[in-house]
Amino acid sequence: MTPARRRTIEFLLDNLVWLMLITVLVIFSLTIPRYFQFGIFANILEQSTYVGVMAIGLAMVIISGNLDLSVESTAALSAMVTGLLFASSGIGLGIDLGPAIVMIPVSMLIAVAVGTLIGFINGFFTVKIGMSAFIVTLASFIWVRGLVVAISGGRSAQSLAPEIRMIGIERLFGIPLLAWISVLCFVIFAFIMAKTPFGRYITLVGGNEAATFRAGIPSGRILWMSFVLAGALAGLAGWLLAIRTSGATANLGVGMLFNAFAAVVIGGVSLKGGIGKLPGVYAGVLLIYSIHTAINLMRLPAHWTQVILGLLVLAAVLLDTLKLRLRERLL
Amino acid sequence: MKLSRRVFFGTVAAAALASAAAAQDKGTIYYMVPTLLDEFQTTSVDAIEKFMGDVGYDVVTLNADNKTDIQQSQMSDTILLDPDAIVIAPVDFNALVPAIDEARAAGIPVMIFDRQITDTMIDLTSVAGTIEIGHVAAAEIKRLLTEKNGSVTGTILQVLGDPGDPYTLDIQQGFEERMEGDDVTIITQPAMQWEASNAGSIVADELLATPDIDLIFVHAAHLAVAAVASLEAAGKAPGDVLLVSSNGAPVGLDLIRQGWEQVEVEQPLFAQAAALAMFADKVVNGEEIEPGTYDVLGLQSELTIEEWGPNIKIPGAAITADNVDEPRFWGNLQAPDDPITPVE
Repeated sequence: MTPARRRTIEFLLDNLVWLMLITVLVIFSLTIPRYFQFGIFANILEQSTYVGVMAIGLAMVIISGNLDLSVESTAALSAMVTGLLFASSGIGLGIDLGPAIVMIPVSMLIAVAVGTLIGFINGFFTVKIGMSAFIVTLASFIWVRGLVVAISGGRSAQSLAPEIRMIGIERLFGIPLLAWISVLCFVIFAFIMAKTPFGRYITLVGGNEAATFRAGIPSGRILWMSFVLAGALAGLAGWLLAIRTSGATANLGVGMLFNAFAAVVIGGVSLKGGIGKLPGVYAGVLLIYSIHTAINLMRLPAHWTQVILGLLVLAAVLLDTLKLRLRERLL
Repeated sequence: MKLSRRVFFGTVAAAALASAAAAQDKGTIYYMVPTLLDEFQTTSVDAIEKFMGDVGYDVVTLNADNKTDIQQSQMSDTILLDPDAIVIAPVDFNALVPAIDEARAAGIPVMIFDRQITDTMIDLTSVAGTIEIGHVAAAEIKRLLTEKNGSVTGTILQVLGDPGDPYTLDIQQGFEERMEGDDVTIITQPAMQWEASNAGSIVADELLATPDIDLIFVHAAHLAVAAVASLEAAGKAPGDVLLVSSNGAPVGLDLIRQGWEQVEVEQPLFAQAAALAMFADKVVNGEEIEPGTYDVLGLQSELTIEEWGPNIKIPGAAITADNVDEPRFWGNLQAPDDPITPVE
């Protein structure tokens, strides 16, 4: 095989998820009435925001060789705390800190701090105590959701302060601000993962933790930090979710963990750790929400929606597996 | 609103304390609530504990987290504790039938709250009638469309809850059977797992796919909040797209006050819970329950003897801007002051 051909095949396989996304968008645009319009693509970007931001942290933990099942509940807790403090109806306390320039950063920092704390706890039990990340984060998935119910009493907080809601309403170049925030997150963390020692260490630790430790890389600290970042990003996702829904309900975000995992896997991140790139994860998220939107627009009978979505995700993952086999055979 | 809630919980707490001694006299009733992730169910716990306390029973509540297997286990465990009665709002309408039969065979009477089971004998069922909620919604929607378009014409976006939940499917059935024959296009979409952002996404997509939507009908008030967020993000003002919701949760009432929502079809939660308390003595003591019309918290409710046993159906109500502040609606979270009186 010539070097040029090898490079072409490698490029295609590395970006297969983007090709899948483009193919799916073209097929849906040609076959589903009213799918092909700017507003629908803007909706896909907006709807990808919460799971997208959540998936960044999840992908980092998985690349580091662990799992984090708690991101969905963490996002729900951050959303509920945001709603509780800054919404004015239901159980909301309606705290008014003044102009948007204060309300937005303060509410965001509180939500991120909540997520960071959960991530810190997950990291502590996994790295310091040596417990299985699966068990630790599964426990967090349960107790954090329980905490959402406990602090809300099962009730909802609604009518988020307009100063914060502005983020969910305003657009820049026709694209919702929420979508820009998720794009910005992907750009920043893709840079961190690809261009900084910390990012490279995460990948190295996920590939072989013992070897990186022997090489003098503080693998424990790297792993712990990946959990903290995953928590912080889940907190940010929760803040964005609260803005989108103008508050929070006790079941907010239910089911998003499945979509986040699917996006990460479709995006080419290996569940064994050590392999994966964040741009691919973003493509995975966009692919999933392109499918969601198509299902909405196709107006399929209610009972079949889940079946079709599951099968489409399975097909996407199957393609990804074929890609890996092809890579092994050709390269 | 907040004051009302404090008053409500204060009333509940005071009533609980006042009735503690009496509660020990008559015994313990277990309430199997399907989930606490839903304001209707959460408030049902407060209401059942309060009203059963009024008539002398202590209530222990078990949450099934929307999982049928957990509720089945809770039933099995509770039967061994030999309570005076069990009240269930089943997660799955029919999966609980064997457990209900087991409880009744063990001499423990079973009452059903809110979600109807018709496949086996029940000692008392208190429901609003989910199909009837669909009927009330249809009547209100016909009125709104006539006011807007001059006749019952237009496009309706119907946002269901989770398509695996018979509750939402019953409302859909009731709504669609009453809309049949009218010149309306009904677009139906499910909001998976009753999750609000799913409903928001559906509305955002449909506003682009079908820009001429006249009215959105969502099957729960918390979904209406997300629908409003999408309308707002799409540059709509209150009233541009009509909005009707069901269940009567506090957030739905707030949306009516803000002008975003026109009608909330209430599930009469307080009356449904009060009806169980009114007949609790008769159920516990195995006495005959007479059919007829009963006044339940001011609502004329029909008790009939069905194949599955005594069944009391409480009429749902349409909440609009004209009556939204009336304390009888559970969404205003003001428990009735007068204690429940058992039926003699």
